[in-house]
Amino acid sequence: MSRWNKLGVNRAARIERASHVAKGKIVDATRIGDLLEQVIEPGDRVCIEGNNQKQADFLADALAHLDPAKVHDLHIVQSVLALPEHLDVFERGVASRLDFSFSGPQAARLARLLSSGKLKIGAIHTYLELFGRYFTDLTPRVSLVCAQAADREGNLYTGGNTEDTPVIVEATAFRRGVVIVQANEIVDRVPRVDIPGDWVDFVVRSPRPHYIEPLFTRDPAQISEVQVLMAMMAIKGIYAEYGVRRLNHGIGFDTAAIELLLPTYGESLGLRGKIATHWALNPHPALIPAIEAGFVESVHSFGSELGMENYVRARPDVFFTGPDGSLRSNRALSQTAGLYGCDMFIGSTLQIDLAGNSSTATLGRIAGFGGAPNMGSDARGRRHATEPWLRAGREADAGGIPRGRKLVVQMVETFREHMEPAFVERLDAWELAESAGLELPPVMIYGDDVTHILTEEGIANLLLCRNDEEREQAIRGVAGYTPVGLARDKRMVGNLRDRGVIRRPEDIGVDPAIATRDLLAARSMKDLVRASGGLYDPPTRFRSW
Amino acid sequence: MTSWYEATARQRIAGLLDPDTFAEILRPEDRITSPHLRELGAPAAFDDGVVVGRGLLAGRPVLVAAQEGAFMGGAVGEVHGAKITGLLERAMDERPAAVLLLLETGGVRLHEANAGLIAVSEIMRAILAVRAAQIPVIVLNGGRYGVFGGMGIAASLCDAIVMSEEGRLGLSGPEVIETTMGVEEFDASDRALVWRTVGGKNRYILGEAATLVSDDIAEFRAAAAVLVDAALPLDLPEVEAEHAMLRERLERFSDIGDAQEIWARLGIASPETLPILDSDTFLRVTEGKAVRRKGDAA
Repeated sequence: MSRWNKLGVNRAARIERASHVAKGKIVDATRIGDLLEQVIEPGDRVCIEGNNQKQADFLADALAHLDPAKVHDLHIVQSVLALPEHLDVFERGVASRLDFSFSGPQAARLARLLSSGKLKIGAIHTYLELFGRYFTDLTPRVSLVCAQAADREGNLYTGGNTEDTPVIVEATAFRRGVVIVQANEIVDRVPRVDIPGDWVDFVVRSPRPHYIEPLFTRDPAQISEVQVLMAMMAIKGIYAEYGVRRLNHGIGFDTAAIELLLPTYGESLGLRGKIATHWALNPHPALIPAIEAGFVESVHSFGSELGMENYVRARPDVFFTGPDGSLRSNRALSQTAGLYGCDMFIGSTLQIDLAGNSSTATLGRIAGFGGAPNMGSDARGRRHATEPWLRAGREADAGGIPRGRKLVVQMVETFREHMEPAFVERLDAWELAESAGLELPPVMIYGDDVTHILTEEGIANLLLCRNDEEREQAIRGVAGYTPVGLARDKRMVGNLRDRGVIRRPEDIGVDPAIATRDLLAARSMKDLVRASGGLYDPPTRFRSW
Repeated sequence: MTSWYEATARQRIAGLLDPDTFAEILRPEDRITSPHLRELGAPAAFDDGVVVGRGLLAGRPVLVAAQEGAFMGGAVGEVHGAKITGLLERAMDERPAAVLLLLETGGVRLHEANAGLIAVSEIMRAILAVRAAQIPVIVLNGGRYGVFGGMGIAASLCDAIVMSEEGRLGLSGPEVIETTMGVEEFDASDRALVWRTVGGKNRYILGEAATLVSDDIAEFRAAAAVLVDAALPLDLPEVEAEHAMLRERLERFSDIGDAQEIWARLGIASPETLPILDSDTFLRVTEGKAVRRKGDAA
């Protein structure tokens, strides 16, 4: 038997070594270092639950402080590196190899550690890709995850921010790995079982609640009138045009403006019930007015958002909630919904090149990707037909057997902060790849997946372009006064406009004169709270009350 | 609904007065700019950050000055101050139904040093002269930068202050207090603390603002229309009564460290909920509870 059960035998040895540290499955927080030393072996593949929002911060800190003489050369597999501790493990020599998806807040330090040789990066993944590899060649031997509450049997309640926990635990537990949990509280009975106790080996009550970042809160006060104009163009020129009902939004102010324009501008165009009814989206506070106005039928979420708990609980017809009333999120499933169940992805970017490749990479920072690459790619495996998907497919006119296309819209002002042009001949991603020794330039959304580019100058419909030259001129045609825009071929851009490949605001009946902040359904955080009937409770940093 | 907070000085005037009745004095094309800023090579504004003129409010003649927060935070320089003082002095000749001061300012423009300080004191003297002539001077305060510094004092000299909850009124601004007294005394980054201390709602409860309105130009217009033609008396007994009122207020709340405790002591139910209430509900909840204000019968 042992010949076919080496993993199980090894697992049993680890659990046995740790038995003196634990009482049943419960481990005291002061013994966490001992536990990790007994359970983790040098060279192990370890998954720290680092999500977009919630972080197993106590366990990450404990791992980083292990003795590198005893625990070393770990291979960390982790979707998001958000905390300093996530890099301390490499700095201190506990770990040496990394496979990940996103490292936004730690991007600059990650680049420094890489160039100093403290770690090697396997690959920068999209979320679904990394999750897929958890079940093929990157299965964790030990996982360090976090939960809101646990009982003594190890049953876990993850609360609204379930995020990556099910994927990590399933991959680890069913391949004879070890699952260690930090819980904010240990209770007699969890409000609902998000992870069954027999998938969990050890539970430690963390001295303070795990860290959660409110990543998706956008203060409406910071939305500009240019963003209002672009949101009007999106609603009238794309959402209404294609009849997009199933969609995912990025997390920037551009798309927050769209959310806040649905109940005002969208309503005035008679679009309620006709667009934006089904969402793969975190519970964005900016969506509250649209939900209250009856635009939204359903929202499935990757994670939750701080302050939205009571609002979500009071709107069970809209959100996916458990029998206990709180949100059930799941990043892997929501990404799948975004990839296969949505007809459109729309989001912001930093740089677009002449082929439409879109990137948020900047020099000296290895930031990776958020949810955009999976959702912002055409699902070529898709088989079910919807009108917007079929129409986009017809516009692409590839010939042969009828196929649909996902709408992938990149929304960007021609100049971003510090007057940096958003349109460039060559993405910074190339230089970053060279300097960091990456095999691929980190492109967020590939040009051949992008269907529309929307700027304050107009909408370029790349589906209608018949060759690379047209595509380049369509992009230059909406690039405004950037060097890329000024180098346009005026005659060709004029022809593209005549053919409807480029459409200016006036071509779609959008009057820039009415694009004022008065159109926003909420202009401040307080407006959002009031729109929610007092149910939304924003974090302190967003309040003036 | 059009936001006062987000509007420019000119948009506020346009929304406040009867349509097409505003006639500007010293228009931007006259290019009356600050000589001090020119000297320093600093950017100028053709109106020096304040718009003055005359127009009609609900059919009644008024003189209006509106500070532009977007230009140097509405700070008062020599030309800027002289425009406001000149407008107030003109009121003595024209006897309008009111002078409306649409204030948004951090106080004196530091670049202009003493010239700015003198300008603010001239504004104060002119306000008192106009009031003594029984012409009401009304402050409208709901802009991004609040009303601080010497102009905070000037505002308090007027007949009435109309505020929105977004508006702020004070002498030293939050950052100045934190810098000089320390973060333990006042944490300027705690926005909730700032608004609950110097924001419109607390200023209303403390009897400093006569009216609290929503952040809507139409509501400011309606509130101002009620206040024209109704000057408060300004004589020695009135000033002494006001001083007595301020002394009484100070004694009554001197042991208190936070505005919310004042609201509780005034018998306002659920004081912790006041900051989130809309202005109508807020006025209902606080009815009869606020500290006595200027002009209230003793």
